Amino acid sequence: MNFEEILGHHLLDHPYFPLFSKGSFTLAVTRHSMTMLVVAVLLCALLPLAVRARSGVGLVGRVIVEELVLFIRGKMIVPIFGHAADTYLPYFLTLFFFILGCNLWGLLPGASAVTGNVSVTAALALCTFALINLAGISSHGFFAHLGNFVPGGMPSIWWLSPLLVPLIFVIEIVSMAAKCVALCIRLFANILSGHIVSLAFLCMIFIFSQFGKAVGLGVAPMAVGLALFVSALDLLVALIQAYVFTLLTAVFVGMAVHSH
Amino acid sequence: MDKLISPDPGLMLWTIVTFLALVVLLKRYAWGPLLTAIADREARLKSDADAAEAARAEAQRIKDELSGRLASVEARRQEVLDQAARDGEAVLSRFKETAQKESQELRDKTLAELAREKERLVRELRRETAELSVLAAEKLLRKSVDPAVEKKVLDEFLRDVEARGRH
Repeated sequence: MNFEEILGHHLLDHPYFPLFSKGSFTLAVTRHSMTMLVVAVLLCALLPLAVRARSGVGLVGRVIVEELVLFIRGKMIVPIFGHAADTYLPYFLTLFFFILGCNLWGLLPGASAVTGNVSVTAALALCTFALINLAGISSHGFFAHLGNFVPGGMPSIWWLSPLLVPLIFVIEIVSMAAKCVALCIRLFANILSGHIVSLAFLCMIFIFSQFGKAVGLGVAPMAVGLALFVSALDLLVALIQAYVFTLLTAVFVGMAVHSH
Repeated sequence: MDKLISPDPGLMLWTIVTFLALVVLLKRYAWGPLLTAIADREARLKSDADAAEAARAEAQRIKDELSGRLASVEARRQEVLDQAARDGEAVLSRFKETAQKESQELRDKTLAELAREKERLVRELRRETAELSVLAAEKLLRKSVDPAVEKKVLDEFLRDVEARGRH
């Protein structure tokens, strides 16, 4: 039994068929791209239905969605953006529900965790990076936004400033990129680690069964119990990571909008 | 396992396209209607709260007005009671005065009548006494006396008695 093979099978992306290829770039329909599409379609179908629901199960969905929306708006977006909250709210609501949907979909048996794929989280972080700069430019203008990378209050020494300002500028650019990289890795690592741990517990059954079927069966209840516990923990992680990614994105964009 | 941490540009593109399309679609079909509904509801709640606040202020104003009126009525009631008490005392005092005056008059009149009656009785008694005395003297002397003499003697006797009574 090869654990690496099992992990690769469950966690890695698998291409179904290529659409376009040039050099090292390949655009293909893959397992994760289809999963994302399914999640997106489900969100597009369920959220408008829930929003318009007046009774029955739909009303329960509406209450849940409304509570989440009001929480994100009241506790996250309005305190950071103030009057500009309505401009950014749809982006952050979509971000939260998309990440939450992908995280929860990954917990279904047999489904793949797209947010455990670094390409997906990197793409979301790239969107954050773009939004930070677009929001900064739309709020202050292009040059003023670039100027905001150099903090005020620096020593105005004639021979030091020409050296210090470019250095600080580069450091701030790297700092912003590092924040986005941290966003990407945090989500990817949290989701991936949950799945790896669950798989590891389940693989214990097969590892111990090599010493005898009875040993494997003896270990099975404990292994399944631990895997269930980790899966339950993953439910919490799914919610928390969606919240953290959205909150940090809002904070970073808010820092660009209110630079002083 | 390197594949786990190797970004796939194709999947990144898929993700960006899917996510941005989702932003546009959800903004149009989910968040727009939901946020509008929430804004309407909040506006309605705010309007209701404002109406409730206005009603509360109106109730407070009416309460204050009624309290003012009540205080005014209470003051007027007290004034009327005081006036009634003053009027009652004045009437009582006037009645007392009249009663005292009337009783004094009655007393004086009664005393005057008593004095007159006493005088009359005294006169009557003297006359009776004189007549009895004359009758006794007549019987004692056994002789008849002339009525004119008798009247003259009797008047002299009464004068003497009156003169003695004065002294």
